[in-house]
Amino acid sequence: MTSRKIFFYVFILILILLPWFNTDIQNDYSISKVRQENISFYEINPCKISLVQFIGNNIESIYQNHYYFRPNNKSPIQCFGRIAGVAVMQKDLETQFIISIGTNSLINLLFQGLFWVFIFSLVPKNKKPTLSKNKFKNLAILMLSYLFAFSIYAESRFYENNFYEFNFNDFKSYLLIFFSCFLISKNLIDMYEERSENLINFIPFIYLFTFIFSGFNFSLLAIVFLYLGLISFFSDEGNTKFNILYVFLSIWWLINSNGSFYFNVGKLRGFTSSVYEFNANLFWIIFFYFFTRGIHKFYIENKKYLSLNSFTNNLSITSFIVLIFGLVSSNVPLINFFSYYLFGFQRYGVSSNKPFAFDEFGVKISWRGIFPSSETIGEFYGFVILILLFWIIKSEVIRPTDYIGIFSASLGLYFSDNRTAIVLVFLISLCYIYLRFFKEFINFKFLLLFFLVFFVGLFMFLLSSTSYEFTSSSIISQSTAFQYDNIYSSYLKLLNSRQEKSSLFSSAFGLFSTIGYFLNRSEMWGLFFTRYNPTYTELLIGSGPLNFGQLYGEVVINDPESFLLPHSSLLSLVVFIGIIPLTMLLAVLAKNLIRSKKNYEFVLISVYILINIIKNDSINYLVVFVFYGLTFLILKNRGKSVFSR
Amino acid sequence: MSVIEEICGNYPEGFEKLDISNDPNYVFVNDPSYSARQLFDADGNKVFVNSFIECEHYVSGGWGFSPLKNQELFLQDIMLYFIVFGVIVSFLKPKIKEFFQN
Repeated sequence: MTSRKIFFYVFILILILLPWFNTDIQNDYSISKVRQENISFYEINPCKISLVQFIGNNIESIYQNHYYFRPNNKSPIQCFGRIAGVAVMQKDLETQFIISIGTNSLINLLFQGLFWVFIFSLVPKNKKPTLSKNKFKNLAILMLSYLFAFSIYAESRFYENNFYEFNFNDFKSYLLIFFSCFLISKNLIDMYEERSENLINFIPFIYLFTFIFSGFNFSLLAIVFLYLGLISFFSDEGNTKFNILYVFLSIWWLINSNGSFYFNVGKLRGFTSSVYEFNANLFWIIFFYFFTRGIHKFYIENKKYLSLNSFTNNLSITSFIVLIFGLVSSNVPLINFFSYYLFGFQRYGVSSNKPFAFDEFGVKISWRGIFPSSETIGEFYGFVILILLFWIIKSEVIRPTDYIGIFSASLGLYFSDNRTAIVLVFLISLCYIYLRFFKEFINFKFLLLFFLVFFVGLFMFLLSSTSYEFTSSSIISQSTAFQYDNIYSSYLKLLNSRQEKSSLFSSAFGLFSTIGYFLNRSEMWGLFFTRYNPTYTELLIGSGPLNFGQLYGEVVINDPESFLLPHSSLLSLVVFIGIIPLTMLLAVLAKNLIRSKKNYEFVLISVYILINIIKNDSINYLVVFVFYGLTFLILKNRGKSVFSR
Repeated sequence: MSVIEEICGNYPEGFEKLDISNDPNYVFVNDPSYSARQLFDADGNKVFVNSFIECEHYVSGGWGFSPLKNQELFLQDIMLYFIVFGVIVSFLKPKIKEFFQN
């Protein structure tokens, strides 16, 4: 490493550490220790002492996990990196200290943005320097910066809770956001163009770096794909049929955007609208269009540089780092804060440091580590195991990183307690081994019959402990339990009336309900149908992409104890795009699966992803949407599998 | 938007500016429809104003936001200049690199 590079890395390290030393130098404070009986110093002196000073006086806060460091995005610029306040809470026998750290959103945008641009710079450069001379480059950056500034205006209700002294009626305020985004985007795109060839192999790392700005409903990752989407649009690339269909749907979604329903974005931050209103819907319609186009363009431009060796290696490394950071951050509160802040997660890492724990009924407690959702990270670990299996069989070599990958992914999958993923990994592995080695010896029809008998037997076994009458009505009975007073959603009304009138509908929904029951989804899906209140047109073509506001705000229900998402990406898609485009999407998928039926890896991974997204909200997470989208494109190949090249 | 509008809100319809400074006996009348605002001077002194006329009078005389808010707005301005400078540097980066390499 050259001395220039060392100097550069030291300089960056200093820049990252510097803000946490920010303190009030005009006064000399005698900083007191945080105690259960007395936190008056921190109540009297908000935003006066730095995080480093706090830690210096409360060393135990680094390792005792009843300390919780939390960012306070609605704090002044001057307060960045300082202690904005301390609160004491009693939870059962544990005394919790919530330490609020000043992290002004506007500074976050610059600080996190430039730090992540630096992270991008760690990816090796292209073999040949390829700084683009694309005539639309600056126009695309200009437009995406405008789009970002517009999103602040469109979702001002969300940002009011995250910005300190930001005048939403003043043009100059938006100018600040616009130029911040422009600065970050310009540097990021330059970095991207110099490294585009290698980035496709580094895609697994998006499970570690989610790149979501603290205090914003926007991700740095979106900048890259929006840029590529805009370039693809200006260059007149893409599918005309898709464009026409999307424009047609968009017009309807916009006309239909009446009302104003707020949605608490929570762990979906960065890839969901915080409000169902005309402007917000307009933003997310444009965002989704360019974003999906961008993913496609990214694949088309870089597919020839895909190296399975490097890709699988990075999968192993990512699963290992995600697991290790999860374990460390659940034990070290300070790392918990910094992993949330510097990796850009939607949610803080889990505070439970017992990944092997069971509850009082002997049921395993799911453990998510640093990732916002245990089920989704479980899916990822399962995916890693499958891809590594394909890779090892193909290459006939096991590298040291493969051992690390298989070990960490297996452990992570167990911790996450995603039982569907565990069963699928087992079954798909068996299928793959059969297809690769025993296809000649065992008749395919016999095997199909075996699986059919196995599943019917399993179904009968599961039903033996409970009656079909009970399971087939589990969703409706849950829906009725959540239904409030005389307020019925249109879909619940339809369900109730059709149950009585149509035996075909009743049987089909009964089967769906039974599947939901065994997947432990009766409550979530029941809740969904209590809320889902579409008109006939909304049922057919949805109410706009990435917008849950209408679903969660339109109908009053008996609120469940905790906030629950639909727990099915398909149900989310029904809300977003309706059943007609969804059926078309599934038909395209089926067509691709049939055409590529000899591409076993593609078919098996698609089945794995499809089953998982039916019972999980996975694709509502930005990184998962990108990862699954790119994986689908990478593995899809009519002639030959990428594993047989 | 002027500073007065930013602090006191929109001008009421048919608003006429009175020469209050030259009338030592002038008494401000509370406007029940106006939400009271707190204004600050450069030394951090506070005053509550209960009508648009009163607010406009004080703001014209140099009163304004709290020192904390003023500081925040000042820092936001500094940040804007810093970012614009950064954007310019980003565009000149290849030339700067070239200059240092030579």
